[in-house]
Amino acid sequence: MRRAGLRVRVIAGFAAGALALSALMALVSYQITRRSLLAEREGTAVRAAYYDVSVVQSGIASAPAPDLSEVLRSLDTGESRRAVLQRDGTWYSSKADTGFRDAITTALQQRAAGGGAVVQRVRANGVPALVVALPLADGSVFYEVDSLQELQHTLGVLTLVLTLVALGTAAIGALLGWYATGYVLRPLTRVADAAEGIAAGRSDARLDPAGEPELARLSTSFNHMVNELSARNERDRRFAADVSHELRSPLQTLAAAVSVLDRRRDRMDERSATAAGLVSDEVTRFQGLVNDLLELARSDRPAERGPVDVAELARQVCRERRTSEDIVAVTGPAATWLVDRRRVGQLLGNLLDNAEAYGGGATAIRLSLDEQDRGTLEVDDQGPGVSPDDKPVIFDRFVRGRSAGARANGDGTGLGLALVARHAAAHGGTATVLDRPGGGARFRIELAGCRP
Amino acid sequence: MSAVLVIEDDDRIRLSLVLALEDEGYAVSGAATAEEGLASQRSRPADTVLVDLMLPGIDGFECIRQLRRSDDVPIVVISARDDTSDIVAALEAGADDYLVKPVAVQELTARLRALRRRARTVGEDAVPALRFGDLEVLPEAGEVRLHGTPVPVTRTEFQLLCELAEHPGRVLSRQQLLQRVWQYDGGDERLVDVHIGRLRQKIEDASGAPRHLVTVRGLGYKLQR
Repeated sequence: MRRAGLRVRVIAGFAAGALALSALMALVSYQITRRSLLAEREGTAVRAAYYDVSVVQSGIASAPAPDLSEVLRSLDTGESRRAVLQRDGTWYSSKADTGFRDAITTALQQRAAGGGAVVQRVRANGVPALVVALPLADGSVFYEVDSLQELQHTLGVLTLVLTLVALGTAAIGALLGWYATGYVLRPLTRVADAAEGIAAGRSDARLDPAGEPELARLSTSFNHMVNELSARNERDRRFAADVSHELRSPLQTLAAAVSVLDRRRDRMDERSATAAGLVSDEVTRFQGLVNDLLELARSDRPAERGPVDVAELARQVCRERRTSEDIVAVTGPAATWLVDRRRVGQLLGNLLDNAEAYGGGATAIRLSLDEQDRGTLEVDDQGPGVSPDDKPVIFDRFVRGRSAGARANGDGTGLGLALVARHAAAHGGTATVLDRPGGGARFRIELAGCRP
Repeated sequence: MSAVLVIEDDDRIRLSLVLALEDEGYAVSGAATAEEGLASQRSRPADTVLVDLMLPGIDGFECIRQLRRSDDVPIVVISARDDTSDIVAALEAGADDYLVKPVAVQELTARLRALRRRARTVGEDAVPALRFGDLEVLPEAGEVRLHGTPVPVTRTEFQLLCELAEHPGRVLSRQQLLQRVWQYDGGDERLVDVHIGRLRQKIEDASGAPRHLVTVRGLGYKLQR
């Protein structure tokens, strides 16, 4: 989540930067262009006004009582210009509409009456316009109102184009940010991949310190950390294995000596017989513990898979424990799975032992293989079930059910279900405990890639 | 009374095994080294030999090889080592079974009985000669012939071959063979695989490309012409 956040922030930053820069550029370009276009337009308007006023003056001079409107109409003003003449307080116009005359404000009239040419930007009929006022020698004033609609349209197009360019630049900025973060984050993605690999059990996952010079320190310390961790794991595992191994020889002596004692139990006095019985039971439990510890120490090895008739294996595990084989049920056609025979056998055996110790014995073993090649084993019992408190920890080492603890009598090693979970994990699977409908516990083991 | 030789350097383990097996009705002798065990087996041959792998001087593997050179006596390894490499190496050297310490005495005597039963059936079966091309299995005579020449096989190897020979062309699974030859209900399948390998070296012209004793992938083994 954090990685995505960083990336989003960088992309947003790139986009905002590009937008700000391009908006500034657009604004400046707009202003410069507008100013230069207006100046040019003003020059043109003033030149046209001077030309027109000379025509009007000669028109006035040519006749004693000239039709001033007619004179004004004779001007070639085109569509955008309107010529207006103020003479003796009367307005004469080239065209009938009065809107343009309204644009000639009183202030402008006063300035024009003061003598000299005046140029002013105004609004006429709702559109911007340019008024050029030229006083004549006889006290009348010639006005020319020049519509700037065309210029406004040009500037509108320019605004649109510049806005689009700014937005496009921002988008390109965002794209650049996306690419740059992708490039920068690639080594971090590799770190994440390596970390995930280690979490998934690939203890050989390392980073290449020569890969990214800037990240050499990260790579080196990451590798160092992983090495330390795996070395510590290995030490712990080897210690457990070595200790258990060393215990095997004395246990062999104990096992053989205890059987000699057992044979003579009925010839001993009561106290000695009880003591011999205790020794015998504990030696058996000790053997189980040592075997389970050794099994646990090597349980993260990959499963040695081969085709196994799991239904037959389950029945055989039942026979060994003197449980009825009839509880084994196979759903679907195939009972041959690609699994580690020894480990699945032990897994089933431990579940049966667990059901025996805590649930009054297994009542059903169900086997099924689904479309995703996942094999599911379920072992049911009709005991008190597993309390909600115990469910999350029941597959941990040395956890014995609290609710059923009194009944268990301490026969188990406390490692049985932990091994079940490890064996399931070695098959890319999971172990879960559920409530059996109708009471009791249901242990469900799912193993991946079981189709032969 | 069946005689058992225990070759084990740990005095306490050896003594406890001797006591326990004597209780079970065996005539047991102990040897602390392979050299001592080999000498004992030469002078007073036991019916079964139990051998540890970690021995001073000649180690267990070599001890098994030397025993095999002159004898088809059933050999059972009892070791604290349970690595696949050790198990396979001991079986390849000629051991008939492999048990990991600690072994309960009940389990040990069950194994010894299975080996004895196997040893006794040889020669008692009234099945006539079974022919597989140039390979002949003679259950009655307890003999295997290749191109008419007798091939020396151990009793376990012979029993394994007989099981397959009595069902010509039929596939027997490793578990079925473990059940019939070793009386294991759910045993270590490496036992079968290594014994099949040893047999192939004796009865196949090219053990890498077996003609008679073929593997049926995912199912087991069968014997064919």
